[in-house]
Amino acid sequence: MTDKTIASNRSSGLLFALKRVPWARILIWFLLIVMLVFCVMPLVFMVTASMMPASDIIKMPYRWIPRDFHVENYVKAIKGNDGSFTFPRNILNSLIVALTVAFTTVLLASLTGYGLAKFRFRGRNFVFMMIMATMMIPFEAIMIPLYMVATGLHIQNTYLGLILPFLVSAFGVFQMRQYLLTFPGEFLDAARVDGMGEIGIFTKIVLPNCTPVIATLGILSFRGQWDNLLWPLLIVQDEKMKTIPLYISKFAEEKATDEGAMMAVAVLASIPMFILFFALSKYFIGGAAVYESRKG
Amino acid sequence: MKKTTYRGIEKKQARWGVAFVVPSVLFFCLFSFYPIINAMFTSLFDKRILSLAAPKFLGLGNYIYIFKSASFWNSMRATLVFTLGTFIPLLVFSLMFATFIYNICGRRSRGFFQIAYYTPAVLSSVVAAAIWLLILAPPGLGNQVLNWLCRTPGVDRKWLANGTMLQFSTMLVYFWKYIGYFVILFITGLATIPPTIYEAATIDGSSKWQSFWRITVPLLKPTILLVSVMAMLQCLKTFSTQYLFTQSGGAAQDPINVITLNIYETGIRNQRIGRASAMSIVLFVIMLVLTFAQFKISKSDDVDY
Repeated sequence: MTDKTIASNRSSGLLFALKRVPWARILIWFLLIVMLVFCVMPLVFMVTASMMPASDIIKMPYRWIPRDFHVENYVKAIKGNDGSFTFPRNILNSLIVALTVAFTTVLLASLTGYGLAKFRFRGRNFVFMMIMATMMIPFEAIMIPLYMVATGLHIQNTYLGLILPFLVSAFGVFQMRQYLLTFPGEFLDAARVDGMGEIGIFTKIVLPNCTPVIATLGILSFRGQWDNLLWPLLIVQDEKMKTIPLYISKFAEEKATDEGAMMAVAVLASIPMFILFFALSKYFIGGAAVYESRKG
Repeated sequence: MKKTTYRGIEKKQARWGVAFVVPSVLFFCLFSFYPIINAMFTSLFDKRILSLAAPKFLGLGNYIYIFKSASFWNSMRATLVFTLGTFIPLLVFSLMFATFIYNICGRRSRGFFQIAYYTPAVLSSVVAAAIWLLILAPPGLGNQVLNWLCRTPGVDRKWLANGTMLQFSTMLVYFWKYIGYFVILFITGLATIPPTIYEAATIDGSSKWQSFWRITVPLLKPTILLVSVMAMLQCLKTFSTQYLFTQSGGAAQDPINVITLNIYETGIRNQRIGRASAMSIVLFVIMLVLTFAQFKISKSDDVDY
């Protein structure tokens, strides 16, 4: 009898203690960490595998810490399977294309956004609606006519061909216009009264005041091209003019490619984006959040 | 007199406005409107890339052909399966994790989780697919982790060999790449809900669970709808993952032959531009309907506090 009460007392005490433990919080933290592992593990795998010989990568269980730095992977990644050094050239191509597109997008989008937000002219709303309408046309639906245009102009295998369809984006124009709508017109008028030309106003007053949007837009356009596989796939056949996504898909196809070199290519191809990301993560995250403002 | 000079300035300024707008307008005419009209036009002809003969007018022949072809319907199925199978988990999990992070974490750890979840999105989709091809290979991490979790050593899950698993694998890659992006979208959305509403609800005795369903979800409805339509449009356009899996990974094409892959194959590989254009137009119409739905929905559902 007494034993039983003691036992029940004890268990209720234990129960009480258990109830005090914030189970929900622990569970949520656990889930957050599981998700974290899921998100980060493939990245860690990429980096560690790039330092291992292929025999270690496909060994079960996977060893997470490389025994030593297997430099041959990186050598092979840069040289390519046939030793033709197309990889550095392709990285350069990607950089040229992505930087140019980022530059022209920022320039043209801010110019157009400024024109639409701060000037009154006939047909302004029509132009704005027209540009917005192009957002509904997916690139995938127009790639074949574009391809025909590119072949007609004989700009396959050129930088011009890679860049031309992406000079400016409707979303960029939209973003710039929305941002500049709130820009006080008094500044512009003051500058005009002081005798500043319209181009001077644009480059010296409007552009410097748009840096956050410019950064987000620049990053979005840069990564859009860094990531672009479909269009280069259509118009580039020349190995020398290929961009990184094309190189990776070709490198992965080749029989001679081993797993370590593959991951070394992946690491090297991601370095520019990661540098951008860690230097400007505010704008990356902001770029994601910008879509929020689209509903307004 | 005064009025006329004023009008002159206005006119002069208007000219500058037009000058600023013209380059982009020209661009969009040449690289958006012309191609889509051209695609509509081409879809009515039997056009091939290298053929010198004049293209034959087919009327709706290409559409009839694709609507009868098994490969087109297989692509529609693959695209639909991929879209639903990706965007629903993305939506549910990103909302869930955004709520967790928003409610549990302090400012520092919130920033940390946001960045950590977002890192996969920094990789290009081709790199992402290349990594997952290795992870999902028979001796790869995918089997090891799953077997360790299920306590079934040595079972090959056939991630890339089995048709169903292959579809699941492509969804997994996409989910992994975009979860952080959508978590951030939802956290931004959550931050716009005034905390006083939650405080009032808590004082009235509402539990966390009730607060979530009765406050967060209704107030976040515009964001949820926006994000879901955006995710759907993204998923409909998926290409890189499927291309890399079939080209480089040697996976079977049929289960994951999404519409964009099919357009590419038909138009470029098989040089049937007319048919490919017809498929493009079908894709365009689907996306147009979805975008209009988005506009309609997001207009009618704005919340004011």
